[in-house]
Amino acid sequence: MKTLALAAVEAGDEAEGWDSVLEAARAGDRAAFDLLMRRHERLVLGTAYRLVGNLDDAEDASQEVFLRLYRNLGKIETGNLGAWLYRVTVNVCHDARRRRPNTVPVDEQPELVAAGRDPQQNAGDAQRKALLLRSLRVLSEKERAALVLRDMEGLSTAEVASALGSSVVTVRSQISKARLKMRDFVERYSRRRL
Amino acid sequence: MTCAGWEERVALFAGGDLGTAEAAAVERHLGDCAECRALAAGLRAGLDGLREVHAEQLAAAHYAAVRGRVLVALANAQQRRVVWPWAWAAALAVAAGAVVVWVVKPSTVPAPELPRMVATAPVVDRPALGQSRGDRSLTVAAPRGRVVRRAAPARAERAVPPEMELPELAATEIAPPAPPAAQAEDPPLRMVQLATADPNVVIYWLLEDRGERR
Repeated sequence: MKTLALAAVEAGDEAEGWDSVLEAARAGDRAAFDLLMRRHERLVLGTAYRLVGNLDDAEDASQEVFLRLYRNLGKIETGNLGAWLYRVTVNVCHDARRRRPNTVPVDEQPELVAAGRDPQQNAGDAQRKALLLRSLRVLSEKERAALVLRDMEGLSTAEVASALGSSVVTVRSQISKARLKMRDFVERYSRRRL
Repeated sequence: MTCAGWEERVALFAGGDLGTAEAAAVERHLGDCAECRALAAGLRAGLDGLREVHAEQLAAAHYAAVRGRVLVALANAQQRRVVWPWAWAAALAVAAGAVVVWVVKPSTVPAPELPRMVATAPVVDRPALGQSRGDRSLTVAAPRGRVVRRAAPARAERAVPPEMELPELAATEIAPPAPPAAQAEDPPLRMVQLATADPNVVIYWLLEDRGERR
């Protein structure tokens, strides 16, 4: 079964392949579950990193998300897996931030892959990115989640609403407020430095 | 300052979150309002920057670390699921064995040591069988009668005076020899042998049965 699933994925038969992988993972195939994690790890860890603000907490949250995925494999369909993972990631990060409210949000970029740039350009870019990421601090938790899912992960407003358990109207309001707050923060910060 | 009423719509417009009609209205406003154009440009730049930041990959070691931790946690959970039923079965078997041993095996608890006692033989006021009243020596020959062993305590004997109650003594009742036919009307005597912890001290007690016994 594992061989069939992996072969289907390798052959590029996406839908059927991932269905088979999910089925194999449900049957207890660890290699298939590992494959599922590899497929969704960027979604989970990347989102968690933007939400909790540091890599240690993001890794903890990602681990919890994948363990929940393993426990709920029987209830999830392939088509809903992405939405399910976003929803659970947001919830787990929300719980983590409640447990550790003093977590320092992202203002540094450890170990990001940035190759082939000249140092001066890298320094300017790094400063601009750090400023943008620091602006996430000024957002409320819901505004940040809406912004991360919509503007960084690229979900539609309806998908964000589904992941956050909110209405589309609420999410639109949160997104617009979040964008305006970020823009104000960046503008004020830039003006002060000038 | 920008037009306060347009800010939210401009923010949504910058991210492409407006429907066609609303987007067209905002575009018309932006054509007339320089401040809102600047706002929209700033918002777009910020969003582009965010997407660019987010597009950068974290080092592969972080992903591998998460996968490794998850697989280890799953393996540990599986091991617990495998081990615990056996551990429970073993514990239950040990408990059942202990119960069986406790029920079946006779008690190995040593009998409590009988209290050492100093007792003097009571004066027998009434002459024993075939003895004169003046002869106070009590001779208990090897009894010919039946020896009946009783479970302690012997305090149930009514003939023992209250002040001489010996709560933990083992008692042996020695049935007296059958009385001669001529003295058959005399109430029979019973002898109670009280054993103490000291094997050198044995107390004999003569009891008169006046027919109250049932």
